Amino acid sequence: METTVLILLPVAGAVVLWFAPWLTPRAAGGFALLVALAELAFWIGTALNFDFGSPGPQAGADRVWFADLDVAYRVGLHDYSLWLVGLTAVATAAAVGYGFWVGRERAGVYLSLLLFLEGATVGVFAAQDLVLFYVFWEAMLIPLYVLIGVWGGPGRLGATVKFVVYTMAGSLLMLVAIIAAGLQAGTFDMTSAAGRGSSTWIFLGFAAAFAVKAPLFPFHGWLPDAYRESPPEVAAVLSGVISKTAAYGFLAIAIPFYPGPAEDWRVPALVLASIGLVYGSLLAFRAPDVRGVVAYSSLAQMNLILIGLFAANTSGYTGALLQMVNHGLISAALFLLAGAIERRASTGQLVLLGGMARGRPVLATVLITTGVIALAVPGSSAFAAEFLVLNGAFAVGWGWAVVGAIAIVLAAMYMLRLVSAVLHENVGSAVPAEALDLRPAEVGVIAPLVVALLALSFWPAAITDRLSGALF
Amino acid sequence: MEALAWTALFSPAAAVVAIALAGERIDRFAAGVLAAASTGVSFLCSLVVFVVLLGREHDDRSELSTLWTWLSAGDLEIGVEILIDPLSVFMMLVVSGVGFLILSYAVGYMHGDAEERRYHAYKALFVFSMLLLVQSGNLLLLLAGWGMVGLSSYLLINFWHARREAVAAGKKAFVMNAIGDATFALALFLVIQRVGALDFETVFADAPEALGEGSTVAVLVALGLLGGALAKSAQVPLHTWLPDAMEGPTPVSALIHAATMVTAGVYLIARTSPLFELAVDVQELAGILGAVTLLVAGLVALVQTDIKRVIAYSTMSQIGYMFVGVGLGAYGAGLFHLMTHAFFKALLFMAAGVVIHALADEQDIRRMGGLARELPWTFRAFLVGSLALAAIPPFAGFFSKDAILSSAANAGTLGWILWAAGIGGAFLTALYTFRLLFVVFFGEISPFAREHLHRERFEGPLAMMWPVAVLAVLSVVGGLLQIPGVWHAVDTWLEPVVESAEEATGITATFSILASLAAALGGIALAWVLYRRPGERPAAIRRRYPWAARTLEHKLYFDEAYDAAFYAPSSRLALWLGRWIEEPLVLRSLGGLATGVRDVSDRVAATQTGGVRAYVLALAMGLAVLAVVFLLVA
Amino acid sequence: MLGPGVAAYLVLSVVLFATGALGVLLRRSPLIILLALEIMLNAGNLALIAFARRLGDGDGQIFALTVMVVAAAEAVLGLGLIVAVSRQRADLDVDRLTTLRG
Repeated sequence: METTVLILLPVAGAVVLWFAPWLTPRAAGGFALLVALAELAFWIGTALNFDFGSPGPQAGADRVWFADLDVAYRVGLHDYSLWLVGLTAVATAAAVGYGFWVGRERAGVYLSLLLFLEGATVGVFAAQDLVLFYVFWEAMLIPLYVLIGVWGGPGRLGATVKFVVYTMAGSLLMLVAIIAAGLQAGTFDMTSAAGRGSSTWIFLGFAAAFAVKAPLFPFHGWLPDAYRESPPEVAAVLSGVISKTAAYGFLAIAIPFYPGPAEDWRVPALVLASIGLVYGSLLAFRAPDVRGVVAYSSLAQMNLILIGLFAANTSGYTGALLQMVNHGLISAALFLLAGAIERRASTGQLVLLGGMARGRPVLATVLITTGVIALAVPGSSAFAAEFLVLNGAFAVGWGWAVVGAIAIVLAAMYMLRLVSAVLHENVGSAVPAEALDLRPAEVGVIAPLVVALLALSFWPAAITDRLSGALF
Repeated sequence: MEALAWTALFSPAAAVVAIALAGERIDRFAAGVLAAASTGVSFLCSLVVFVVLLGREHDDRSELSTLWTWLSAGDLEIGVEILIDPLSVFMMLVVSGVGFLILSYAVGYMHGDAEERRYHAYKALFVFSMLLLVQSGNLLLLLAGWGMVGLSSYLLINFWHARREAVAAGKKAFVMNAIGDATFALALFLVIQRVGALDFETVFADAPEALGEGSTVAVLVALGLLGGALAKSAQVPLHTWLPDAMEGPTPVSALIHAATMVTAGVYLIARTSPLFELAVDVQELAGILGAVTLLVAGLVALVQTDIKRVIAYSTMSQIGYMFVGVGLGAYGAGLFHLMTHAFFKALLFMAAGVVIHALADEQDIRRMGGLARELPWTFRAFLVGSLALAAIPPFAGFFSKDAILSSAANAGTLGWILWAAGIGGAFLTALYTFRLLFVVFFGEISPFAREHLHRERFEGPLAMMWPVAVLAVLSVVGGLLQIPGVWHAVDTWLEPVVESAEEATGITATFSILASLAAALGGIALAWVLYRRPGERPAAIRRRYPWAARTLEHKLYFDEAYDAAFYAPSSRLALWLGRWIEEPLVLRSLGGLATGVRDVSDRVAATQTGGVRAYVLALAMGLAVLAVVFLLVA
Repeated sequence: MLGPGVAAYLVLSVVLFATGALGVLLRRSPLIILLALEIMLNAGNLALIAFARRLGDGDGQIFALTVMVVAAAEAVLGLGLIVAVSRQRADLDVDRLTTLRG
């Protein structure tokens, strides 16, 4: 029941906004923010009542959809999906708040799409039926398509086409896999043991969709453009939350349902993810603009998460899940900060930036804090997660952990380069002297993300202790 | 007692949060005082803990206290736990004590800087991280403190972030330390795999069985830990960041890059000595690298012209001595030198800070000279520090350095080799230290100094002078804690945690003392001849051996070598990947999928003329075709 | 009870259907096309009812009724669209209404 509310609340908000174009941007923004915050509050309530010890999905619902094929509206939350839903609620609230503050054109429609996206994403995390999962999965694509294609930057059309074609190609293969899996098992119920199988092709069908969306190296062709051309808050949601649906897919479907093929494909997957980790880190180190650095670091981090998942042991899973939450918060904060920087300097080119720390203590503090957590300085929650991921990888083979350790050093290099290029040394030619520090509204949107990260750094076990181990 | 230890840990953290949240609402001076006071609280708490432990039985001085679970995964559970035992209390006293003095000094030194509050917050953050490092009860939390001292060091090195050099130095320090963090973490993975836990007690108890003495695994674990220690303590080959780190404000250099953080490697080896003792080769490697470092640093220090860089190289070389000590199992001696070094090196840096402050931020010793008359008290403090550094009795450095050398003399062939290196290092130490002293303080006052010298009521603000005085006293008397043949207070105190190696006695000990004394006096004498007054002789030597001077001025080409071996290739690789893989393969050709789809759809779309009748015609024809097909099939 | 056989109805239905189809294909006025469409639908209805009667069950009649409802709805929409289009442009020629081409 609660899960249904979590899915429908933002969708209902989106519908109201969609059919109320007469609302002033202010009223629409206020309403959307209210809905996003209500969703967050409801999630907190759900989390407080959640029984973390029990393995099955909770707070769910089950309504027959078409009985012949045993397709049903089955939803429910596992302990691991609960955290991802929380991440979705937090990141979307920040994105809605930011979009509201920036004042997009046709604010009502814009925010309505963001809310719809939130509902669909929660649906992906909550679905316990493969057909339903697919429906939500595709439903995420619609608002994203419009958000990037209409409100994006100058190269938005190319970016949108690329994004849609890539993800559609992946998800159509998944659709085939779902149909095959469902007909084979006689049910699309994800909680039933009948769904488990050993077909390599079905596994690869799922893997294709998830590998594109995560993205696993080398399926990231859509990523740089999409992250550069989106409005910052959409990029924040896209890299912070949407990419996690793919990791979730591996975690909750591809690997546990097809243990045999997953085992067979583990080494190739680990190889690709390791390459992606180093490759993304290196490209981030040389990217010319703020968003480029964040985009490629996001690629690297997602591949790190996949290393943890394919390590397929407790440490790897736990670390990967913790890192999914961490990275969601980090990359949402970084993209919003990139937006804030671009608003001030009207460019994200690093050579034109610099010296923004002077007289802008809040911007400097927030960016440095986020940056050092992003580079996983020991003691941060990102470090805790990376430690577990690499520990899990080490158990599979020491080579994977060594690659990960190299990437830790590379992460320090690219993040510090970003921080310094924006904040330090001489004032960049594109930075006007009168550019303001972060405004209270921006702080109000970004600070909660950073505070959440700091809190997690003090107590990463808040999450890792609350995983029942149902999967592991 | 546990509550006190926790208070000692979190009091600086509370100051950080308070200063950060208060922003501009807090007075700049108040921020400094708050930071210093929080460290003072830590010191008092540590002192009480020390007294409490002192009152207990010898082997009842260890206590573990856990607040909450920090991280867990399956069976692995790592708590926020601190270990209170003689070793950690020893380090707490040094860190918070010296830290308190330096933070007080910084209130005066940083007065009037545009971003004073940020500075004091960072400084308190550092003290918190350092205390976390030394108090931690497990390896992971130790690594957390380890990384966070690196972070605060980074933040403080590039505190004056408008300066390009400062920013570069900060990044370099952080990345070098990240390499150490990475090897440290790899060692921990191995420990987890074999032992299944990270808390000291379990690890040390199970390690002999789980790792095996002298096994490859034990060697790898020790190597990983050693990598971390080398990076943090700026030992060859991971040492190049420390001299550059002098771009930070002087109190930072005093606290982080002399007294506390850089000695963390010594602490680590002492703390994890049960693991190192399973891999004696690696432990000896630590000693050998320490000896190499102390010679390299001593040589390079001879030609440096920046007052702080000279002291920085002396720090490297003194930590080299400590590594020799702990590498040979003389933990007490190594840690004793750590403590006295904290006193006299902080003293030297802070006295240098007074000079720099008085000369309007000038650091080049070639523009200094004859300052003894102008800054008599600073000169005296500097002299005390120099004598202690050169290990002249009865100053603190003498006793501690002697303890290390004397232990080395008792440690077989390798011990004697390291001992010889130590004696050579003692000569170099005396030479460069007194070169610095003579050049800066002796002779005629330089024109630059005459022009720029400005004094306030005293030689520096009072807030700066009193910590200098306290440290000067400690540098004189600090060595008396451990007098060979008389008493060994430090060794005895640390004994429940680390057994100290036997020192040489009798004739060997006397020989060792006399040799090191002779080396030190020889160094001073040579410095007196060469540098007492500005003269031709140093330049003549330089002309005779131009290659030597060049090599030393380039710091033995370590920076150049690393740049050519690591940085440049990875940077080139990144650009190459961007140009030849990402752009053509990933973005364009796979991206060509997207354009391909668009092209095809354009062509298909062209058939949609918009003319309804055309559609209807197509429909009708399609129907006709279908009808024919059905008829034929039927 | 008895009337002409089902064949006669079918012939009429075919004639009607052909008339309608030709109308749709040949005429340019959307209004006439709509009319022709209705004729085609009714040709279908006629056939349905004829068969229903012949087979003696009600299914065909139900279908015919459904078709009528749909046809009525379609006529409403179609006429509405035509009126809307005619407000925009003077000429109502389907060959020129090609705004929706690909």
